[in-house]
Amino acid sequence: MTGNDPDQDLVARVGRGDPAAIQALVARKLPRLLQLAHRMLNDAAEAEDVAQEVFLRAWKQAPTWVPGAARFDTWLHRVAMNLCYDRLRRRREQPMAEPPEQVDPGPAPDRRLLAGDTGSRVNAALGALPDRQREAVVLCHYQELGNIEAAGLMGVSVEALESLLARGRRALRAALADLRE
Amino acid sequence: MTFERFQSLAEAWGGAIARWPAEVQDAAYAFMAASPEQADAVLAEARATDALMDAAPALSASIALRDRVIAAAPAARARRSRLWRWMTGAGVGAGLAAATAAGVMAGVSLSLAQAPLGEDEALLTTLYDTGLGEELGGTT
Repeated sequence: MTGNDPDQDLVARVGRGDPAAIQALVARKLPRLLQLAHRMLNDAAEAEDVAQEVFLRAWKQAPTWVPGAARFDTWLHRVAMNLCYDRLRRRREQPMAEPPEQVDPGPAPDRRLLAGDTGSRVNAALGALPDRQREAVVLCHYQELGNIEAAGLMGVSVEALESLLARGRRALRAALADLRE
Repeated sequence: MTFERFQSLAEAWGGAIARWPAEVQDAAYAFMAASPEQADAVLAEARATDALMDAAPALSASIALRDRVIAAAPAARARRSRLWRWMTGAGVGAGLAAATAAGVMAGVSLSLAQAPLGEDEALLTTLYDTGLGEELGGTT
């Protein structure tokens, strides 16, 4: 490891076209980026497209990557998040053939779902959060970024990040209240 | 740390103090030691939300996706391109014949004979990296 970026050496080797480094970077980052895109978009195919696009940009960036300004992982997250926002914006602008899956707002005893459905409910509830709350929750809870890194990535203060997180979690808790029994 | 601050941190960061911002953890643990019942109630509530959130299924990266991503890397593209030029040229046999004419057959044959299975592509890459591959079978 060099400096504060645990990926620095690996990225340098990727920049030189080292096949082993390319495979290692993909093994290290692809699952994380795929998760991020899936949590943001709640669509597996779109998440794969985003992950692929992030790596296309990473391959271009690696040879000229200058360590120090930001961690490579943070840069990857920013690229992925921008791509997700592009897709979310397009969704809003284009009428959809099928409406997105909505969170069922009405908790009732007969709506208790099996474990597999619980996961779908959680994903749908995440998808129903306002974008910035969802971004904060995804970055901090699922991607496990620290407060300073996540706030910097989102371009907000640490206090604003904390507020977005708390509101996001409260909304999730309310949407999924019927599952807590 | 006040109870209100402890509560707002739990609402934002969840029920595991270890996942809270590093700069508040010591104070949070101190609050927990001083007011265990209050702290436990707040953390239990936050942990329940954590558990719900963690029920969201993780999407696995398929081998096909991984392969597509790796295939798009410059090193892989360059290797494929060189191999393609080689294979779509005059052909391996013709290429080697040309190499013979160029007086390098002995060295190439020795390399091919010594290369273990699966290293052919690496050998071709090396040949092209040295410019010899262009001479052997390149179309450009």
